[in-house]
Amino acid sequence: MKSHSLLAAATALAGIVASSHSASAQELVLGSFGGSFADNVTACYIEPFEAATGATVITKLGSSSQHAAAVRATAGQSDMDVVFADDAFAVQMANEGLLVTLNRAQLSNAPEIIDGAWAADDAYVAAMLGATTIIYNKETVTTPPTSWNDLFDPKYEGRVTIGDVSGTSGWQFLAALNQMEGGTLDDITPGIEKVKPLAKSSALLYSQADQVVALFERGEIDIAVWYPDRAGVAAGNGLPLAAAYPKEGAVGIRPTVSIPKGIGQEELAHKFIDTVLDAENQKCFSERQFIGSVNKNVTLSDEVSAIVPVGEALEKMLFLDPNDMATRLPEWTRRWQREVLR
Amino acid sequence: MKSLRTGALLLSPLLFVLLAAFVVPLLLLVPTSFQEYRPGQGIATDAWTVQNYVRIFADEFYREVVLRTIGLGAAVTLCCLILGYPVAYLIVRGNPRWRLPLTLLVIFPLMLNLVVRSFGWIVLLTNRGVINNLLIDLGLIERPLRLMFNLTGLMIGLTHIYLPFMVLMLVAALQNVPRDVEAAASTLGSSRLHVFRAVTLPLTAPGIIAGSILVFVLTISALVTPRMLGGPTYQVMATLIYDEYMQLLDWPSGSALSFALAISTILIIWISSRMTKRWAGLA
Repeated sequence: MKSHSLLAAATALAGIVASSHSASAQELVLGSFGGSFADNVTACYIEPFEAATGATVITKLGSSSQHAAAVRATAGQSDMDVVFADDAFAVQMANEGLLVTLNRAQLSNAPEIIDGAWAADDAYVAAMLGATTIIYNKETVTTPPTSWNDLFDPKYEGRVTIGDVSGTSGWQFLAALNQMEGGTLDDITPGIEKVKPLAKSSALLYSQADQVVALFERGEIDIAVWYPDRAGVAAGNGLPLAAAYPKEGAVGIRPTVSIPKGIGQEELAHKFIDTVLDAENQKCFSERQFIGSVNKNVTLSDEVSAIVPVGEALEKMLFLDPNDMATRLPEWTRRWQREVLR
Repeated sequence: MKSLRTGALLLSPLLFVLLAAFVVPLLLLVPTSFQEYRPGQGIATDAWTVQNYVRIFADEFYREVVLRTIGLGAAVTLCCLILGYPVAYLIVRGNPRWRLPLTLLVIFPLMLNLVVRSFGWIVLLTNRGVINNLLIDLGLIERPLRLMFNLTGLMIGLTHIYLPFMVLMLVAALQNVPRDVEAAASTLGSSRLHVFRAVTLPLTAPGIIAGSILVFVLTISALVTPRMLGGPTYQVMATLIYDEYMQLLDWPSGSALSFALAISTILIIWISSRMTKRWAGLA
């Protein structure tokens, strides 16, 4: 008898613990990028979200492609509730039917978001506007570069770094060179031919964005094809870096947020995305990360405006259709591995 | 009969772990490797193809990576053997007082994380790294030597990381060589070199085989060190598989490559162990 009541009590207690756990402490798993990006996501998005909802956010760090691979591997029961990924990978996930269609009615900030940020069928929304452009050391490069061709100047030989094709800046730079040399998306040969000598003499073909920080710090390079947001953060930490926007046009990057299917708490996930799109939080993130905002009501400080593409640079910016890119990237990568790296 | 059952029972926990965590997931990849990947859409589940396998042999780039991986495995194994044998010999046959410090010295690198060890080599080998800066400051070279993102960097890094495995295997083998067999050969008039070549070396063959197989398999399947010291430019099979899976999202190609790697590993181990056994007179 005694043991029975003990058992019952234990079961009841376990029940209370379990139910209180599920009722009060909601958990949201966020797939984010690493480095300063993650710090700023925490400060500008996660903290206001946790304060408003009482939920706890757990971040899982990775690159766009790693997040996409994880969402596919756990198709229909993703362990991540909200995922950051560049648009080429977001569109791939959307095409494979892995993403929930965003419900604009649940996003109070949706009307303030620029049209270009939304996916064709609202499968994802861009959370910020970045770019692939030229970053240089102000102390060693006295005349600011004005063209992609400046990277090929013999005086920088061996003191340039460009990204490997596996990273966003790598394929975007290839696309920009290709367009400059008269190629089309279907004919990447001019771009491949143009980039080959630069890739060979490059101090490093970086595969992680933060590798470039170390190269600038050690004085191994003077100039890089890199991201203005990373450069802005590095400049804030004391590196003498500046961004230059080539006259042929820098290439736009749209890191997106989306919700994988089958997470069981889509409402909470929508609330998180709404927090991301909020004007005040967008301004916070843009100023810390030196990246463009997608909210029309955000005005950036002068310091940030000097780094992010504005005015003419923004008008000339090349935006590549993520659907086109998702189908072409594997082929570009294969040709890069075979023709550029050897 | 009873001993067989006891043996099976003793084996079963490990057997279960290996089956559940290794063999089953591997078999799950078989269908994937025969599927077609359509960029932008995903893995086509309606059609079967052998193209993923044909490509490994037909495509010049894949072929180069496969041959490079196997060559690298053989070269690192040979380096570890040549560098490791004297060390193992010294540990077993040298002054007993040196045995513990020497063994600790060999094991010490294993106590450091693989990423830290590889990063250490980056600090040493990079264009403006310790070695290049020293050589430039001494006026021996003008432009930095390219020590990374090529065979040199990978050979140095992998040999350093896998040397302890070889040494430990050889120590065990050398300890098993009866000293009186060597003494008998000497008494019968053999020179020290001849004793080593005709008695010690063949008797340590099992250790050489085991150590070589271990180092070879670890080398050709290594991912972290080749990625860090080889970068995106100098690809081996493991990094290529990683890229196919994680960057191109082309799982069918990645699976086919994984199988090619696994099968060639098994084949090479089988052939080499047969050959060495014959050499040691064990077959």
